Amino acid sequence: MGVGDYILQGILAFFLGSELFSVFGIPVSINIAMVLAGFLIGIMVGATPGLAGPVAMAISLPLLLSSFGYHASALLPVLGFLIGIMKGATVGGAVPAILFNTPGTPDAYMTTLDGFPMAQNGQAKKALRIAHFSSASGDTFSDLVLFVCAPFLAIIIEAHLDLPEKTALLILSLSFIAAVIGGSPAKGLISTGLGLLAVFIGTGEDFYPRLSLGTDQLARGFPITTAVLGVLILGAIFEGIENLIREKRETGSFSAVPESSDQVLHWADIRRLMPYISRSALIGTAIGALPGIGSTLAATLGYTVGKSRHQKRKSPDDLDFGTGAPQGIAATEAANSSVSGANLIPVLSLGIPGNAAAVFLILAAESIGGFVPGPAVFKFTTDTVNPELVIAFGLFTAMAFANVLNWTIGGLFMRSMGVMIRIPKHMLLPSVLLLTLTAIYIQETRLEAIWFALGFGVLGYAMRKLEISPLPFVIAFILGDKLELSARRAFSASGNDPFFLFSTPIATILMLLAIGVLVYTARKRRLEASA
Amino acid sequence: MKHTFKMLVGAFALTLMTGEVLAANWSPPGPIKMLIAFRAGGGADTQARLIAEALENKMGWKFIPEQVTGKGGVNMLNALSKQPNDGTAIGMAVTESLGYNLATSKSRLKASDFTGLSTTAGFQLGIIGRTKDGWKTMRDVIAAAKAGKKIRLGTMSPRLADLTYLMEKANGVKFNIVSYRGGIAVLNAINAGDVDVGYVAGPQAKGVKAGDLVELASALSKPLNATPTAPKLSDLGVDFNADGQFVFVGPGGMPAAAQDALGKAIAGIVTDPNQKVAKIIKRVFGGSVTITGKKLDAHLQQGYDDAGKLAKAVSQ
Amino acid sequence: MIGGPDGIRTLETSNIGASPVDNRSNSNAILGGLCVLAAALVAFVWVPLDVDSGVVEQVRRRVQIGDSLAPVTAAVFIAIGGLVLLLVERRVPDQPAFTLRNLRFIALSAAIVVAGFLIMRFTGPLTVDVVNLLTGGELQYRLLRDSSPWKFIGYFIGGIFVVAGLMAQAEGGITRKNLGIATAVVIALILIFDVPFDDLLLPPNGDV
Repeated sequence: MGVGDYILQGILAFFLGSELFSVFGIPVSINIAMVLAGFLIGIMVGATPGLAGPVAMAISLPLLLSSFGYHASALLPVLGFLIGIMKGATVGGAVPAILFNTPGTPDAYMTTLDGFPMAQNGQAKKALRIAHFSSASGDTFSDLVLFVCAPFLAIIIEAHLDLPEKTALLILSLSFIAAVIGGSPAKGLISTGLGLLAVFIGTGEDFYPRLSLGTDQLARGFPITTAVLGVLILGAIFEGIENLIREKRETGSFSAVPESSDQVLHWADIRRLMPYISRSALIGTAIGALPGIGSTLAATLGYTVGKSRHQKRKSPDDLDFGTGAPQGIAATEAANSSVSGANLIPVLSLGIPGNAAAVFLILAAESIGGFVPGPAVFKFTTDTVNPELVIAFGLFTAMAFANVLNWTIGGLFMRSMGVMIRIPKHMLLPSVLLLTLTAIYIQETRLEAIWFALGFGVLGYAMRKLEISPLPFVIAFILGDKLELSARRAFSASGNDPFFLFSTPIATILMLLAIGVLVYTARKRRLEASA
Repeated sequence: MKHTFKMLVGAFALTLMTGEVLAANWSPPGPIKMLIAFRAGGGADTQARLIAEALENKMGWKFIPEQVTGKGGVNMLNALSKQPNDGTAIGMAVTESLGYNLATSKSRLKASDFTGLSTTAGFQLGIIGRTKDGWKTMRDVIAAAKAGKKIRLGTMSPRLADLTYLMEKANGVKFNIVSYRGGIAVLNAINAGDVDVGYVAGPQAKGVKAGDLVELASALSKPLNATPTAPKLSDLGVDFNADGQFVFVGPGGMPAAAQDALGKAIAGIVTDPNQKVAKIIKRVFGGSVTITGKKLDAHLQQGYDDAGKLAKAVSQ
Repeated sequence: MIGGPDGIRTLETSNIGASPVDNRSNSNAILGGLCVLAAALVAFVWVPLDVDSGVVEQVRRRVQIGDSLAPVTAAVFIAIGGLVLLLVERRVPDQPAFTLRNLRFIALSAAIVVAGFLIMRFTGPLTVDVVNLLTGGELQYRLLRDSSPWKFIGYFIGGIFVVAGLMAQAEGGITRKNLGIATAVVIALILIFDVPFDDLLLPPNGDV
């Protein structure tokens, strides 16, 4: 099969998946319905302060697995649904930021700076339209980059990287993530180390499960869901409840602002916004392609770059950034939305997740089986069909389809989501906690999983209080096993060379980069501290 | 009338073949937990889930499948041993888990601590290589190693590593043995060029048929179906083989009626050519192998005892 | 905007940068010291005592990486992180602190969840025992764990306890409204997780 055949097969696999119902005799595949459902739920979740995409992905995963089973045919509907949530939440997050000055997520914070003033000026709908247009543009651009880059990157990796280089690459990713997430490389390293330690309990090659203290409970190790959901989601819920106790006040005043007549996004507006959108989309995509940096930095950078350009070029009667400039919304939303697609580049070509959403996609693929994100996916075998490659192009199709949904119905649906702010958080958070624990139990079916998850939740809470980012923990937990296996393999494949990590030029370069990035960020931090 | 007749027949049959009637009369007192020692989504996991589904349809029993992976099936056996033995908990592993893996692990458990229900299928376990490397059989690979080429060989269990070690010793060569989890992982590593040759137990069928892969040796006591000419390990100077089957077991001391009923029910599914799972078994694993009941208990015990001999041979 | 840089503060909304900050705090030094200590304990006590093979081991006349290497590597990560905190980041401004109030909050929250799940675990079997006592029957909860209404008893009571308990904690007291909402939430969860899915088991029914 040629490249074109694979792409075609992937598209067909998406659109001709098992039939859900038919419209005028044309069968509608379950995949289409799942992406649509995920997308709409994602917008709702994104628009609800206190919820975000990863929560919805985490909770829906066991239900999806139960509905679709553990077979390759489950991959497209399940991953399609999760991708839908991911994209929907990206769009939905701007709603509370613009309407109520409450960013649903940290990266929507910059959206409030101009979005809320615009809403106060009576242009709420227009602000939402700008946010949607910019977000969808950034997202689409990022996806296109993903479609083109991931296969090539994977092929290059697979052709040039042997076992030692693959190990070195994993080490580089971990050290990069430790160094850049959260601003403190020291805390990043601690978070990474804790994640590694947790995943190494109960695993290993010996028949005695290491570090299990002789107990049966630890002998099977910590289930991945308990660590990931515990640290990421339960930890955040605990912190959220504590914040509620501290605040003890209602947010947002809903005093009605009279709408101004001009709520339409004109071509002239788009022409004016386009330079900001394209710049931010580039920034977001570049940042997204690096594992672990994430959308908040992208939003901040996009906004900052947009602001300096705006100050130089604006006409005297234009509003400044921060006072309701449409360009501010565009720059922020395009940047943070263009992270999500590019973030799948390291996932699909290396199997390395860069953010929480990517973590759940990998989790889903691993639970179902039959699709192992990594360079082997993009093996263009000609005489036999590589089913993983078909799935990969099916996923690309799902993403493209989600983009189509975003452009067509996304804006309309998004603008109707202002009501979600009315759900009180002191009711929402405890309910989501029980929901999450139930979802964990249903996947693991043993009570120990609840205790583990709770323990990780407490850990996640403590890490937040100490401003240790939990994401390096989670990524280390996911990559730890891979890292150990690949080190063992590289070591034995090299004929027991103790310096296998420095046995080839590429491996050496990767290792030096891994050390360099830590030293560099630590030094930078020191300079900041003494400044 | 009908009722009396049934009773008569029943009493008659009881005198002839006690087991049969006990099996027919037994039904699980509650939902059956099925512990699966394989990663979700793989061939073995699919097999287990399909068998559960088929049994639900055919017998009206209720199954709750659960993954307990790790330590070559020993984790699953450990969990299973703590379940009640009334037939409401069974587990699926490979015979190697109850044999070599249990024997060499420091577990207190022995093969006799479990009740054999039924095997389902054997493996087409062989050493596989890429056609483009030009090796026809394992003898060519050994010759290449002797000539000084560094050969990376992928294994998927400690027992296979032991067998490889004996093969090295018998032929005076040394491979770089790289261990993977499961045959699919080895197959991927062969395809990606991370290893040169490796043990695969079924998933190679498609590649062998297409001509990309070649079966260099059989790791079994008999030749491989697709490549009957490939030498067996015994032809390469190894006195042991890697024969094995997928097997369902229950906790030890299960009542004979439950053991019999569950074993027969499972065997009935995998030998029924109309069942989806039987078709998959035929395609991937070369057909069903059903050893049940007391015979299986003895088979498992044998495997456990043989493991000691292999370990001894390796330590020499 | 999915999940922020790290997907963490996703559940927090209006209080960015509001964690308690003390400029003269030495929390980085304390944390760094604790990390170095913990890493040393892991590498020099826990790993040697609780792992079978060493950092490398000899198997079949070959040197192999043993099971100890990976956890020791993890300890090295924690130790380096701790050292950098101690030596490089000790004096950075805006060091967060973990206060006694934080500790009280998380202890109470965890206690509510633990109590709720213990209730969940034992209410069903206890009910069966009581029924047996009244009727003289010999029911076993384990065999009933997939049959209505038995399978819902524990989840229903325990679930309400968890949700209402945490709401009460947030609001500083139990109200009838919150109990009603908790009940509605638990019923909704049963409808989502159990009713449409034949093969899913609500807690605690998977391992009783």
